[in-house]
Amino acid sequence: MGGEQIVEVEDLVVEYGRGRNVVRAVDGVSFSVARGECVGFIGANGAGKSSTIKTMMGFLFPAAGSVTVFGEKAGTTDSRRRMGYLPEVALYYPFMKARELLELYGGLAGLSRAALRQRIPTLLAELGLEGRGESLLKNFSKGMQQRLGIAQAIIADPELLVFDELSSGLDPLGRFDLRQVLLEIKQRGRTIFFSSHELSEVESLCDRVVIVDRGRVVKQAPMAEMMGPLTEFEVLFRMADGAAPPPEVAALQPDRDGESLRVVTRDAAVFAGALEALAAAGARIISTSNRSRSLEEYFINLVRPAGNASATESPAQR
Amino acid sequence: MRQHLLIARTVLIEAVRRREIYVVVLLSVALVAGVMSIHFFALEGLTKFYREVTLQVMSMAAAITTVVLASRQLPREFDNRTIHPLLAKPVGRSTFLVGKLLGVMAAAAFCFALLLAVYVAGSYWLGTGIPWALFAQYFYLQMIMMLILATLGFALSLRFNLDAAITLGIVFYFTSAIIMSASVMIYKETGNVGRVLMVAMNYLLPQLTLFDLSEKTIHADAWGPLPLSVMAQLTVYGAAYAALYLGVAYLMFRRRPL
Repeated sequence: MGGEQIVEVEDLVVEYGRGRNVVRAVDGVSFSVARGECVGFIGANGAGKSSTIKTMMGFLFPAAGSVTVFGEKAGTTDSRRRMGYLPEVALYYPFMKARELLELYGGLAGLSRAALRQRIPTLLAELGLEGRGESLLKNFSKGMQQRLGIAQAIIADPELLVFDELSSGLDPLGRFDLRQVLLEIKQRGRTIFFSSHELSEVESLCDRVVIVDRGRVVKQAPMAEMMGPLTEFEVLFRMADGAAPPPEVAALQPDRDGESLRVVTRDAAVFAGALEALAAAGARIISTSNRSRSLEEYFINLVRPAGNASATESPAQR
Repeated sequence: MRQHLLIARTVLIEAVRRREIYVVVLLSVALVAGVMSIHFFALEGLTKFYREVTLQVMSMAAAITTVVLASRQLPREFDNRTIHPLLAKPVGRSTFLVGKLLGVMAAAAFCFALLLAVYVAGSYWLGTGIPWALFAQYFYLQMIMMLILATLGFALSLRFNLDAAITLGIVFYFTSAIIMSASVMIYKETGNVGRVLMVAMNYLLPQLTLFDLSEKTIHADAWGPLPLSVMAQLTVYGAAYAALYLGVAYLMFRRRPL
């Protein structure tokens, strides 16, 4: 998290409604995004992701706390000058052509007509919309509109990209294309901040993840740190003649799986020791495996209410 | 200024590509054609009757188009969330509002230009002359009236829902003269509180009839063009109300959660 912080959210509170009908959507959220980082912002529906992002863009106003972008108060024209934004849901003007729409957004972002003439065909091709510049948007599918939305967000090559629901409405091919575009943008040192329900996407793109639940940040850490402790080692074995497992293995509290026993550990040295002990005790090793569990599993176990926690937990977590 | 023009262009593209304006113009053409088919007036009577109907139709058609177009600009942006990618660019909310206003005015002028073409064609077909100087003043003052209606439409649409804003705008256009004469009568009959209310209403609502030069244009043989000083005063009067309504709209829009 070193380097210049270009987004700083401090104790942000966002509320909807008035008087007795006030609903607190964001409740003291704090995080920051450093230049060049790719940060995933994840949470269940209603966790406060969109409200936080809308406050960053100046569409909503904080009830308390602050948001600064490039050192400016969020929402000022100066703060937006260096940003690109893809909204969660947006219908683009159906009566306009794709080229006209990009001319509008590019022009508003400050690109000259000459620059737009060069940039638009390239951008359309990059996002799989080649030859659709003169088509009216009312004839575009949802996925094509989403691609166009991404085009308008990156048209002026902004320093900070903010995507609210990154690949919403895109088919697998569209997601692949988008990932390539984002990887290329990331390689050029641009900063990316996005929310997504596609956690595999977050896993493959992000350097860091901020997890929100019911309006609060429940975890923020570099991706490597977050995924590291999740690596699990598993051995399935059967003791000869019903003998007891050796003490090194018994300490791991094996689970019975039919005739076999299973132990799971996150410690590679303990795992190696258990294998040696099993071999020495003449146990029959049926299988060994190690796996890094997905961000999805981590996320679900983190935000799921305690009473429902068992579904995705492995024995090692319990 | 480029940002204002880009936003205005979007409004104009919508107005030109959607079919409402053409429907209004076609209905107007049908009405005017009906008038032109009446031959039982002497030519002079026909000329005045033609002008009266045509100018009224032009004014009504342009006013309804302007009120509808202006009133729906902001609610549609909110409902479809097209405002989000737009205001994510370095565009201020005041720039957005003024750009929208310019677009609505350009669309109103486009609608008026179509109707004007109908009027001019009809005049030549009937062989009646066109009092160009008075007609130009009529057009100019109508556009000022459209400016007031457009800004009023913005303010109403930010306070009420779309349907209510359109209804109130159109009702105000059609009843402005009645409201004003009624307020004068009520002022004479009412008590102090009522008088204060009538005076407040007199200042809050513009007198749209001041911008209606149709009677003079119809009787162009008896009236010359208005002096420039009067035109300037009417311009200031109209601009003041447009600024007032636009200012009110901006105050409501400035901190509106989107």
